[in-house]
Order: sequence, then structure tokens, then C-alpha cells
Amino acid sequence: MSKRSIAVQLLLIMSLLLGGVGCTNSTELNDLSVVLAMGIDDKNGKYEISMQIVDPSQMSANRIAERSPTTVFSETCHTVFECFRKVTTKTSRKMYFSHLKMIIFDEKTAKLGIKQPLDMMFRDPEIRPSFQLAVIKNKKAKDVLELVTSTEVLPAQEMYKSLKVSERYWAQTSSVNVLQLLRAFEMQGMEAVITGMTLSGDSKKGKKLDNVKTPSTPASFNYEGIGMFIDDRLAGWLNEDESKAYTYITNRLNSTVADIKCPSSKKLFVAEVVRSKVSKKPLVIDGEPRMKLIANVEANVGEVECDIDLTKESEIRELEEHTGYELKEIMEQGIRKTQKYKSDIFGFGEEFHRFYPKRWSRWKERWNEMYAELPVDIEVQYSLKRVGKMISPITRTKNGEE
Amino acid sequence: MEAMPQRFYNKLNDNIDAMLSIMGHSIDFTYRVVRMANNQRAALIYLDGMVDMQAMQDGVIRPIMERALVQDNVLDHMKDQVLESGNASYAHSMPDALEKIIAGSLLVLVEGVHTGLLISLPGWEERAVTESTTQSVVHGPQNAFTENVRTNITLVRRRVRDLRVRISSVTVGTMTKTDVAVMYINGVAEQKLVNDLLAKLGEVKQDGIFDGRYLEELITERKRQTVFPTFFNTDRPDSIAAGMLEGKIAIFVDGTPFVLLVPAFFTDFLQSPEDYYQPYLFSSLMRLLRYAALFVCLIAPAAYISLTTFHQDMLPTPLLLSLAAQRENVPFPAFIEAFIMEVIFEILREAGIRMPRTIGQAVSIVGSIVIGQAAVEAGIVSAAMVIVVAITAMSSFVIPSYSMSIAIRVLRFLFMIIASLYGVYGLTIGVILLIVHLCGVQSFGMPYMSPFAPYKKGAQRDALIRFPYRSGSR
Repeated sequence: MSKRSIAVQLLLIMSLLLGGVGCTNSTELNDLSVVLAMGIDDKNGKYEISMQIVDPSQMSANRIAERSPTTVFSETCHTVFECFRKVTTKTSRKMYFSHLKMIIFDEKTAKLGIKQPLDMMFRDPEIRPSFQLAVIKNKKAKDVLELVTSTEVLPAQEMYKSLKVSERYWAQTSSVNVLQLLRAFEMQGMEAVITGMTLSGDSKKGKKLDNVKTPSTPASFNYEGIGMFIDDRLAGWLNEDESKAYTYITNRLNSTVADIKCPSSKKLFVAEVVRSKVSKKPLVIDGEPRMKLIANVEANVGEVECDIDLTKESEIRELEEHTGYELKEIMEQGIRKTQKYKSDIFGFGEEFHRFYPKRWSRWKERWNEMYAELPVDIEVQYSLKRVGKMISPITRTKNGEE
Repeated sequence: MEAMPQRFYNKLNDNIDAMLSIMGHSIDFTYRVVRMANNQRAALIYLDGMVDMQAMQDGVIRPIMERALVQDNVLDHMKDQVLESGNASYAHSMPDALEKIIAGSLLVLVEGVHTGLLISLPGWEERAVTESTTQSVVHGPQNAFTENVRTNITLVRRRVRDLRVRISSVTVGTMTKTDVAVMYINGVAEQKLVNDLLAKLGEVKQDGIFDGRYLEELITERKRQTVFPTFFNTDRPDSIAAGMLEGKIAIFVDGTPFVLLVPAFFTDFLQSPEDYYQPYLFSSLMRLLRYAALFVCLIAPAAYISLTTFHQDMLPTPLLLSLAAQRENVPFPAFIEAFIMEVIFEILREAGIRMPRTIGQAVSIVGSIVIGQAAVEAGIVSAAMVIVVAITAMSSFVIPSYSMSIAIRVLRFLFMIIASLYGVYGLTIGVILLIVHLCGVQSFGMPYMSPFAPYKKGAQRDALIRFPYRSGSR
């Protein structure tokens, strides 16, 4: 092959590539509006989509003027995609969704079903399925997006990070990645959950930059509880303790603290849970399903108000027994709540599916009803490992001297 | 100009007049007439500044004035008994004699004798053997080649005391008649390569050769041309000696301190002589660092362009926002921005090299302040772009071989264009095509990417990393 014909071929290949991935796809950074958070509200049967975008000039060291670091655009339309396009009439830049961190639903949309608005999020190649989801209680998602937050400049970052951090150190919240949600949608024996969110304080003041000019912010958000779903519709809420049951049973617990009543008095002592493993044993007894949970929890003594002597093994054993009992109570309470709403968020159905596939094929149609009646036995093995730098409580030392 | 007489005349004055007219009465063409001890007239003809005046005085003039007493065959007498310095030989033709004179010989003509005596007494001002300026090392040998081919050969000879070392010489350049010496170790270097090289050197048709680079271009076949250097050049005798031990052939060109080594492989250009004078662990790490720097130098601006214009999703969110903030007021697309900065940097570098050393300071101040700070503050380029250009520039200095660094600098612009059109996808294809090209390059018939492609297991000991000397033999 002559040199010229190779050159011609190369040129042809390059020009074909130009059509495929060429410079038509390129966008300069200053032509993009980075969407970090999105709110989906229900407005008279239509969707109201709010997009929180970043004003990059506010992120640089020499910011021009005191402007809000974010802007929120809202549109009302029948479908999400329509809103994405319609919003271009309001801004000079292209909306860029790859860095989306949070999607927030209002309660009404969540109750009506979230599969439809999320369809586009899974379908569009530009959107990376790594964002977190939350449902806002009693308020509109738009209100959260418009909130000015104190720790991070960007509210979306604050929401995202705060969810991640609290999940790690506080068992009552549970971050839900969109992929986990999708998996729960697809599984027959498991229902989805989405973490709950509340707005407290004066939300009108919270929308102004003044919100962060005082040490205690007039308005703020916090994560609270876990929303149980049946298929893609919100069925009900778990309160804080019940949410804890969810994190324990699904083994999503990293670390948490638990207030526990002292064995002999009304005072409290705190166990810092450092390791927890709950194994699920699905059983079939007389043709009926029965779930057995074995929890192995390891904790440190965090704070002691009780009048006990931690140098004695017997007292520690007593504490262990007591905390184990409390944990069992919490877990039972959580399970009872979900059974009331017939929402198998723990994925017990999936366990039966795995261990008894033949029976499962008969059960799966009426699993929600069966779940409501499912007997669950809980066995807790609690061990207190380290007591910290001190052995006996301070109060007790003083008493001892007297 | 009258036709050049082929032979010498009998009369001394005729000879002198003829030669003067051939040389066009150039002012450095000097003759001096002396009376020998036997009362005959003799003329010494030479180029002023090309011969060693002291040796001429003591070893030629004084002996013939005092001791050349014989009347018959005075030239034989002089050659064998009188002269004290220089290699003497007979000159029968005037053109040959003139050629020798302009190369630094002294011609002695005697009245009534139509043969001359050529005495080789070259002696001109020379740079002494100094430290290497292009490839300096902390440890290890410091001396570097000079412009004199003889000195250079000696510097290598002294390092390799082997009877099998062979040196042959060719004269290249129709006008400059430059001495080109080829040095190799017989039995270690492939004889076929040596013969090939000598044949090709003989075929070179060029008016002048002032550096090895001429040969590199003239010898390489047209269809094998590439941006990558296929001849290794260095001014360090230790590199040349080490290369010869590996079976390479050294090419010395008179008049330049840079000696060539063929065949050269890609890996050679990323090795520093210092690699062998430092602990192997450190050398290996440094070598890996150099490969990384080469890669950075090649694709850093291109990667920046493609990430910020095509693949914003591949950046972490805070970085994206920070980059977006910097780009907020930049009026140009990322490619133009990168191109401007790279071109400005190349201008700065060129200015820094060509400037007299005293003004060099001013260049660096203007460069660092204007380009580094003012351009960013004026909003013409983003700060991140300056960082990218700076990293690229520093990386290009890490590459030990200047000729490799030039090739990478040129390719960098090509990659920037590809990145601006096709993004990371194009960049990937570009790198693949580059590797394909590299695998096709040959240096004197040897594959350039050896020992990676074709893979040679034994040679891996000194490719990407340097193995300890003691771990088995080659």
C-alpha cells in the first residue's frame, strides 16, 4: 500500500471520528451550569422540578460581589425531561447533570410513586447513578434547595456530606444510593427505603444569605427517620429507634451510640457500638416461614452514670445482658412497625427466595401479607470490650473516698 | 584563475608565486624564506595560526639552518636526520600539498628541488577538556568531549583498554572535508552494521558537516524518517564507552563535542549515565520517574483540554467547580488558552537559550511575572492552565536527552490538537498510534522499541529499571 493511500485512509477515519465524538460534543467549562441537587415536587398533578446550580465565580478566591453561591431554577411540566429542556429559557448555560449529588422528593410525589420521575435519571448517559435520595417531610423539596447552609458553601455538598457522615456515626440515618434503590425495585423479596429529611426553623429567613451570618442559623435541615416503600410508593415512616433497627438488621452499621438504662437505677450509660453483624436464618417450620436473627454486637463503654463497679466481671456481664435486651427490644419494635405497613424493607423475603426457591415461587405473590404475619426470633450476643481510660465512673470514685 | 600546476617547479620563487596566486594572496597564507646550513635557499609555507609556531621554530627552522649541510638529496637528509618534530612526508603534487597545508601542515621547499617536504605540525587554539554542560551528573566522571576528534578518541580509548577496539576514519563533506572517525569493539559490534555505516558515510554528499546531526539526517533512509531521535548523541566519554561495550558504534565528527552512538533505542534516551553511578534502587525509581515525566510532558496539556471540554464528569466535583471558577472570565476556549500558554513558554525557552547570559536574568523575570502572574490576574488564562504548562515544562527538563525532549515537545502540540477535536477518546487513539509508530521505527536496522518490542528477556535488566550489577551476567 502506498504511503499516500494510507494517509488518505487515516484522514477518512479521522473525519468519521469527528462525526462520532467530534468537537460538536465539546463544551467549555464556562458554558456549563453544574447541577448539584434536584428537587421533585408535586404541583397539581404535574412535576415541579427545581435545580440547584453552582455559581462558580463564588467558589474562587477573589469573588466579585456578595452573591448567593447557588441559584435555583424551577419549572413545572408533565415530565422531567421536558423540564430539563424548558429551563434553558431561563439561563444562559447548559445544565450539566453528571455531578448531581442529591435528589429530594416531597412526600406527595413519593406517595404517588417515584419510578416515573427517576426513569430519565437511569436512562440518560450523562447522569451518573451515584447520587443520594431523600424525602422531605411536610415541606416542598424546593424549600430545601433554597436553604442557605452554614458549614459548606454549597448546600448540595452539605446535604450529601452530612448524610454520609451521619450514616457512619449515627445509626438512625441511612443513605440511599440510587443504585441500591434500583436493586430494591428489582428484587421481589425486598422493599426500598429512602432517608427522611426535615426542615426546622424559619424557612423564609433560611433562604437569605443572612441565615449564615449568625452563629445559630435561623433555619436548617436535618435527616430524620427512614421512609418505607411498597414498590415505588412511600408507605410510612420509621422513627429514630425503628430506623436503628433497619441499620442493624441490614448490617449497614459502622458505628453508633446507644443510651441504655442502668440495670439498677434510672440513670443512663452509653455504649459505643463499634462492630455489629446480624445474620439472618430463614426457617420453614410446618410449612410456614419463620425468621431467626442472630446479632453479634461489639461495643465500648462510652459514658457511665450508673453506680456500678466496672472492675468486676459480673457487673460487666450484667451490663452486657441488659444492653442486649434493649437492642432486642429496639429491633422487635422496628420489625413490628414494618409489619404493620407490610413493607419488607429488611429483605427477609429475599432470604427465603435464596434458601427455599421452590416455596418462594408460591409465596412471592402474597409475600406482603405473609410478611405482616412473619414470626421473627431475635438472639443478641452483646459484648462490651473496652472501658476507656477510666475504670469506674467519676461519681463513684468520689463516693468511695467518703 | 590560471590552471593549477600539478607539479612543483624547479625554481623556488615560481613555486611560491604559483601557490600565492592559487590561494588568492590570503593574508594567513604565509611563507618564510631561510638560508640552510648548506647555503641553499628554502621556503617554509604554512597557514598562520594553523601550525604550532614554537615547534616550527625549534624543530624545523633551527635544525635546517644549523645542520642541513649535505648538498645532494637534501630532502632525504632533512627528513631522516635533521628535522626534530612532526611527521614528515614527501609532496610531489602542488594540489595535494595545498590540501595538507590548509589542514595544518608545514611545507618545506628547497631551491632547485621539485619535491616538497610536508611536516605535520598542527597547532591551533583549542578548548580544554571541561565538564559536560548538557548532561551533568553529581557522581561519576565529569569530563566531556572537546571539538578535537583526536582528543575525543583518546578520551574513549583511555576508558576501554581492549585490543579489539577499532577506529577507522572517513572524510565527509565536499568543502569542509571533515574527519569522521568510526570506533567500535571488534567482535562485540556487528561487523555488518560497521560495514553498512562506513558505506553510507562514504555516500554522503554534502558541502559541509559541522555536527553529528547532519549525518543523522543524511544517513537515515527517507522512508524511515521520524520525529524521534534514532542516533544517540552525548558529550560524555563514559556514555560512549559504555555504549561500545554493548556493541554500539561511536561516530566522532571533528569540530563538535557531540559524539554519536548507533544503533540507539528508545530506552537509551531515558537513561542518564548517573543511573550507573548511584544505588540501583534509587536509579530504578528515578528511571520510572523519567518515564512518568515523559508521559506527563506529552499529554498533560492535552489531558487538561479533553477533561475540561469533553469529560467534565471525570473530575471530582470540588475540582470541577474550582476549575470552572478559574475559567469563569477566561475569554478563550481551553484549547486556545493552552496553545497560547504553550507557545509563550516555547518563546521564553528559546529566548532564554539564545540570549547572552547576562540578559537571561531579565528574560526569566519577565517570563515568570508576566506569564505566571499578570496573565492570570488579567483573566487571559486560568491559573490551572499555568500550573499545567509549568508541570509540562518541568517534565520536559527531566528527560535526560535533549533530542528526545525536542521530539516530545513537538508531539505535545499534535496531541493538544487531537484532544481539542476528539477528547480523551482521541487522545487514547493518538497514544495507540504513537506506540504503533514507535514499534515501526528502526535505528540502523534495529527495532527502536527493543527490548520491549521485540521483547528480550535478558535486556530487561537495564530497561525500565536497573537491576543490581551482581544479579547474574548479561
